[in-house]
Amino acid sequence: MSGAPEQEVLLEICGLSKNFGGVVAVSDVTMDLRAGIVTTLVGPNGAGKTTLFNLITGHLGRTAGTVRWLGRDIGGMKPYRVARLGIGRTFQDLRLFGGMSVEENILTVMEPGALPFSGPRMAQKRARAAEVMERTGLAGKRHERAADLAYAERKFLSLARIMAAGARLWLLDEPASGLDPNSYEIFLRLLREEVAAGVTVCIIEHNLDIVVGISDRIAFLDRGRLLADGDPKSVLEDAALSAIYFGDRT
Amino acid sequence: MLWLQLTITGLQTGALYALTAVGFSLIFGTTRVFHFAHGAAFVLAAYVFYWADQAGLGIAVGVILAALAAMAFGVAMDRIVYAPIQRHEGSFFTVFVASFGVGIAVQNIVGMVFGRSFVTINTPLSNSVELMSGVYVAPLTWIAIFCVAVFFGALQLFLRRTHTGVALRALADSPELIRVFGLDPRRISAAAFALGSLLVVPGAVITALGSGLNPALGSHVMLISLAATIVGGIGSINGVLVAGFVLGLAENLSQIFVQSQWSEAVTFAILFLVILLKPAGLFGRIQAR
Amino acid sequence: MEAYLLNLGVLIAIYAILAITLNFIMGYAGIFSLAHAVFFGIGAYVAAVVSMHVSASIFVTMPAAMLAAAVLSLALALPALRVRGEYFVAASLGLQMFAVTVFSEWKSFTGGLGGLVGIPAVKIFGQEVYRPASFFPIALAVLAAVVAITQILVRSSFGRSLTAIRDSESAAEGFGKNVPLIKTISVVISAALAATAGVLYAGYMSFINVESFTLDNSVLIMAMVIIGGTGTSWGPVVGAALLLLLPGLLSYLSFLPQADIGAIQQIIYGLGMAALMIFRPGGLVRRGSPQRKARPKAAPTRAKRGAVQ
Repeated sequence: MSGAPEQEVLLEICGLSKNFGGVVAVSDVTMDLRAGIVTTLVGPNGAGKTTLFNLITGHLGRTAGTVRWLGRDIGGMKPYRVARLGIGRTFQDLRLFGGMSVEENILTVMEPGALPFSGPRMAQKRARAAEVMERTGLAGKRHERAADLAYAERKFLSLARIMAAGARLWLLDEPASGLDPNSYEIFLRLLREEVAAGVTVCIIEHNLDIVVGISDRIAFLDRGRLLADGDPKSVLEDAALSAIYFGDRT
Repeated sequence: MLWLQLTITGLQTGALYALTAVGFSLIFGTTRVFHFAHGAAFVLAAYVFYWADQAGLGIAVGVILAALAAMAFGVAMDRIVYAPIQRHEGSFFTVFVASFGVGIAVQNIVGMVFGRSFVTINTPLSNSVELMSGVYVAPLTWIAIFCVAVFFGALQLFLRRTHTGVALRALADSPELIRVFGLDPRRISAAAFALGSLLVVPGAVITALGSGLNPALGSHVMLISLAATIVGGIGSINGVLVAGFVLGLAENLSQIFVQSQWSEAVTFAILFLVILLKPAGLFGRIQAR
Repeated sequence: MEAYLLNLGVLIAIYAILAITLNFIMGYAGIFSLAHAVFFGIGAYVAAVVSMHVSASIFVTMPAAMLAAAVLSLALALPALRVRGEYFVAASLGLQMFAVTVFSEWKSFTGGLGGLVGIPAVKIFGQEVYRPASFFPIALAVLAAVVAITQILVRSSFGRSLTAIRDSESAAEGFGKNVPLIKTISVVISAALAATAGVLYAGYMSFINVESFTLDNSVLIMAMVIIGGTGTSWGPVVGAALLLLLPGLLSYLSFLPQADIGAIQQIIYGLGMAALMIFRPGGLVRRGSPQRKARPKAAPTRAKRGAVQ
């Protein structure tokens, strides 16, 4: 399962940079995401991982560099257009639609159109929502308000949304942080199933068990720079990198 | 010479707009509270000054009482209304509605106590002197311009030189930073409200002495403050100052072309054009949302 | 007494339409407009002018008024909704004050401060509807239609998109929603439906002037929505009824200075709005499920300041 070169390049980032005022958040990052490969972004807090996601999805404008999706330049595109190309994401702070029920949270991501009654037929959407809620263990919470869910349930709803949205590339921002071991097993199983079904995943994660457990490839960021990019073993065994990483954490 | 006359009155109006708007912008920029009741602070200060004058306490005492009233109102709003809301949710909506509600109440209480019609204070300061043929200037104009220079200069010094001032500027960038430095965010916030509310006083007093007061003035003041904040650029105090002058001058100079009833339309047109063409404001930084 | 109640009923129906249509953007999309009375006014003036010079048939005045309000709201929404929420508040406040100037100064169309007098009664299928007994059912019918339209929209994909945007704009965008477009459509729908209240009002009163379309009135409508409960189906109707009954109730309290009833009413709902926000932010009529603040947050939230980090 290593990143064999014949796999199709979905997303290609070249020389991507972002400055906030004088602060460099992302600096000259070049990497690509290939179909079917799970890439994990690791690095200390403030390394620019979330900023990198925001640059890809258009939630932030880049300072320099290019982002290509299937060869097409998508830099500077609005987030909703990027999303419609098949790039989905979760947020570190989840950003659920708190006032809506669990089911509505899932339904609404299947209907991006602006006109009333847009999207697939209602019966079809409900069936898809039911399936996603079943798999994420939220079936019993269907009518509860998202804001009233317990923490782990909120995390699963965040995942359920991106499952229902049907994106081809998933950008997951710390999806497993704070999960208890049991929920965490369910999460891993779900993720593997989705990857097997053809989803490409890029994930920001601090937990090294997860990183080793599911990654095909690891990209290491520090202070906005891509320091290493390769198979998990070689990156994690690099003494210099672990010094940066663990030095920051303890 | 009409244009010169209008430019001079425009500068006076602009000076008062500028200070009031800088007050709102200071509060909004640092605490992120959409303090819609800022207009109420203006009305309150103006009527306290008017009351002091009617009671024969003299201008100096009136100014001091007006300043105390405005600052007390601002700080009380922060403590009694905004702090409890921010403790649980603090969305833009809740803060705005609460602020708005208090604003309406204050306007009507003032209306009940002082009446809803126009009142003004007679003073020799508003008697115009002929500067050159056809151009009249009242001493109030010079006072207004002097006030802007003094208050704005003092504000800049305060923000740059004092501990609290630096903390205020830091609060705008990162509230977490305040805690790291061991400062109490609530006290800093109170300082922002006190200072921002103090800045309505020159405008309130000079309006009471000059063009006169009515309780509904608050919404006009709010429109000007909001317009200046947006035109100048959110987060740019210098920009808001300039925008205040722009709005004051435009309102007066537009009378060359249209009748004075349309002055609010001019404010609206400028606000609209800026939102349309340069949404970050004339001097604002473009912000990520 | 019966005439009094019917009159009150018609006014409550008209204000309920205004509150429901404001709630549509405020409660579901999180857009705060201080200019709702402007669209009420446009509806009223257009209906009045059309019925005086063209036809008093409700099937002519209604579409004309709705179209005019929709077009004007577009002019407000297109620029203002591209940017942050505060901008719309400011722009709508500006529009409200600007509109009052237009209503009182554009004498050839609005009759100036004196207003328009002698507006013909509403006609339905050639029948003149005499006031007020037979007018009440018509007002109720329009109210029912507005309730039906907004409820259907709110329960459709469009309503879910609005609520999603209200709850998290960045997440809604991240799931492919064109936020400015959806918001703009909601404002246009809201304005067009609010104009129907103006049509009713002009036909019912047979006299209109700027007094009914001022900032105070926009504030009153907003208070109805907030006190009733934003984002609920029946809250705005309850709020409208409550605030229209208030002056009548206050006049029974003989110790109050009767000349100041209007001011006392505004003080009550002003302070009421503030108190509600402090103690009960959901409004009097609650949304379906329990209070949200009771739950301790497990994760630190950094969404508050809206930064994307």
